[in-house]
Amino acid sequence: MIESKENGITVLAVDGNLDAEGTQAMEVKVLALLEAGETSLLFDFSGLDYINSSGLRVLVLAYQRLKKASGKVAICGVKDYIQEVFEVSGYDKIFPLFTTRGDAVSGM
Amino acid sequence: MPEDSISFRMTNKQNCFMCFQPKVEEFGAAHGLPMKVIFHLTLCLDELVTNIISYGYADFDEHPIDVTINYVDEVISIRIEDDSEPFNIFEAPEPELDVPLEERKRPIGGMGIHLVKNMVDEIDYKREDGKNILLLKKNICEKCCSTDG
Repeated sequence: MIESKENGITVLAVDGNLDAEGTQAMEVKVLALLEAGETSLLFDFSGLDYINSSGLRVLVLAYQRLKKASGKVAICGVKDYIQEVFEVSGYDKIFPLFTTRGDAVSGM
Repeated sequence: MPEDSISFRMTNKQNCFMCFQPKVEEFGAAHGLPMKVIFHLTLCLDELVTNIISYGYADFDEHPIDVTINYVDEVISIRIEDDSEPFNIFEAPEPELDVPLEERKRPIGGMGIHLVKNMVDEIDYKREDGKNILLLKKNICEKCCSTDG
């Protein structure tokens, strides 16, 4: 997981698998960022190969916290088969999904 | 010819994802299944086994979870057998997809099962000899295989 800052947006690049272990690491990171007062979060999933409902739950948690703080959360770079998970769960209507990180940073 | 069937036993005390993920991937690769199908199979096993381990046992003992994956006539079957509390997948509550996220009583409740139901074509459940036996079937159609996902 690589964290960076672009245009005031905190970008979290998550690679590999968001299985139970990966999700737990992401949750710890996201909670720390929210605690530190970050209000714009972009998840760069271009290197992500796997996500399950627990991974989605962490994204929803970030969304709910940031909505209260008038913040934003978006996702970019998801692979086709992962995009399908967002569609089936209905979360494609909640999270702005951008093709590239550049699109997301300028569009958020 | 690659084996058309694999079986393995895990237990509720193991990191099951690390057990089955390489097996599903190897099985999928041996049969030339698209990434998307391998992902669907992995996700189904993950959600169901996580469910069993998280909610299925009233004691703290070690319990076996047996999995068989078959590939015959363009249909993949996954059979999961466990001795956890009865869990009928058809009685699991659906997530409140039509309710805005903020108003849902259960923000993520039932999502794992909802994903499973959408990733396979057929589901059968029975309770037999104190065991849950779940059978999932997925058709590997031309359409799925022509995508690169």
